[in-house]
Amino acid sequence: MERAEKIGLGVAVAGHLVLFGLLSVGFLATPNPEKLKQQPVEVSLVTDVAKESTAPNPAEAAQSVAPEIGAPEEAAAPEPVEAPPEAKPEPAPAPPTPAPPKPQPKATPKPQPRPEPKPQPQPKPQPKPEPKPQPVAKPAPKPTPKPAPTPKPAPAKPAPAKPAPAKPVPAKPAPAKPATTSGGSGKPNATRPAASSAKPATPARGSGSSATAKAERPRGGRLGNDFLKGLGTEPSKSSNADAAPAAKMGAQQAANIGSAILRQVQPCANRQVTPGPGAERIRVAINLRLNRDGTLAARPRVVGHTGVDDDNSRYVDRVDDLAIATFVGCSPLKGLPEELYDVQNGWSNFTLRYKLPG
Amino acid sequence: MNPVFNMDAATLSPVALFLQADIVVKVVMAGLLLASIWSWAIIVSLVVRLGRTRKGMARFERDFWKADDIDAFHKKEAEGDLPSTRVLAAGISEWRRSTAGTAIDKAGTRERLATAMGAAAAGEVDRLSDRLNVLATVASASPFVGLFGTVWGIMRSFTGIAQAQNSSLAVVAPGIAEALFATAIGLFAAIPALIAYNRFNHAIGRIEAALNRFADGFHATLSRQLDGAR
Repeated sequence: MERAEKIGLGVAVAGHLVLFGLLSVGFLATPNPEKLKQQPVEVSLVTDVAKESTAPNPAEAAQSVAPEIGAPEEAAAPEPVEAPPEAKPEPAPAPPTPAPPKPQPKATPKPQPRPEPKPQPQPKPQPKPEPKPQPVAKPAPKPTPKPAPTPKPAPAKPAPAKPAPAKPVPAKPAPAKPATTSGGSGKPNATRPAASSAKPATPARGSGSSATAKAERPRGGRLGNDFLKGLGTEPSKSSNADAAPAAKMGAQQAANIGSAILRQVQPCANRQVTPGPGAERIRVAINLRLNRDGTLAARPRVVGHTGVDDDNSRYVDRVDDLAIATFVGCSPLKGLPEELYDVQNGWSNFTLRYKLPG
Repeated sequence: MNPVFNMDAATLSPVALFLQADIVVKVVMAGLLLASIWSWAIIVSLVVRLGRTRKGMARFERDFWKADDIDAFHKKEAEGDLPSTRVLAAGISEWRRSTAGTAIDKAGTRERLATAMGAAAAGEVDRLSDRLNVLATVASASPFVGLFGTVWGIMRSFTGIAQAQNSSLAVVAPGIAEALFATAIGLFAAIPALIAYNRFNHAIGRIEAALNRFADGFHATLSRQLDGAR
């Protein structure tokens, strides 16, 4: 072997080693195919549309609106004033709306009572608040002007009169007032309540939040801390309302529990071998009778199929067996919500749709 | 670039593909890899040798036709390894043997000179093109060898389908990837070998032509000398 051949052999071996080493290290590695796999989107079809309210949901609307309008001007009085105008359009779908603040403090101290008694007290306050807001609205503006003039000194009054020109009506009386203030204190007092009462009157008439918002925005800059306090306290009440126990298990909870069960049986489902092409299109409606601790009270029953066609009809029995084996294999189901066990449509007797993975 | 040494079949790691393959496919792959290494060794050595030979021959001929004294030139170049040197040596030794006696057969001497130098040139060309047949064999045979490995590997993955009773791509794909890797190595060995074979064939043809031209020129010189020596 000549010298040139030795050189050539060394170069060739070294080149091959370098090339294959680079390939082994992943120089030309294809992007990880697992990223390209399409993750199946789990769509759970809800058969029962819940028309009933699944949890006592007292009037979040009135509370959520109240902080926006009620807090800014005066702490207590506007809240009843503003709430009723929104209660008027709503009463048909949500009867308990005006009641909310009163039943809530009662409901929370009770350790999850049967929700049925609640709707009963709710209709009772209904008739009461409806008459109330009207009397409340009238007295409300009257007390408001009295505290209002006390914090605001006399020189400050012409200042709000000037921004007031946004409203054409009060603008003209406003310049007229400072002239009269020197003369008699009775007349400006009489005119100011009239002007100030006109402002709360407008939201009562319009009953729309836009009118009230326009009326209060010019003042909003000066309100500051009181306004934020009103916002801060209100959402906590609404969160208490959400925590109330459920009367029935509705469609949303049923779908969540179905997903939770399917997640728990997924390891067992993955062990099942698909009996043949097309078998994964068969969806089995399987009925589970569960004990409170999550164990199966009875062997799961197949109550129906969908997705059976000519190709996979011969696999139906096998898919049934596999589905039952899946749920039996991972049977002690954990973490299902205790309070939804024996309510109406609860998960003590639960039917869900299952299909083979793949 | 991922520095992790990747043994996953999903990557293009040759080591992983090799280790997961069937024994027959492994043998095919190993053979093809050796063929590739060998052919590249030949390619590198031939590139070096042919380049050196061509440059040396060009310099040798230029110096030879400038030289006044052929004997002195021959002594100076005697230790060289060039084909031209050997052709020159064959011609000179035949000339000395033919002109050693008292009676000189001119026609016979010319014939012997031509034969001796032609034989020397042919021997040199043979020596240069000794390894070309390896390149030709690798270029023509390794695709078929790789194809054999591929066919074998695909047969194996189909039997795998039959055993698993599952035709999903996850069952078939690794085996076919391994199998196709055999063809890939075959082509990887064959393509450079084929290109190099054609290129070296051409280069050696040119060297042979240059040697023959030099031999003819030297033969003409000796023939003229033979006429003048009389």
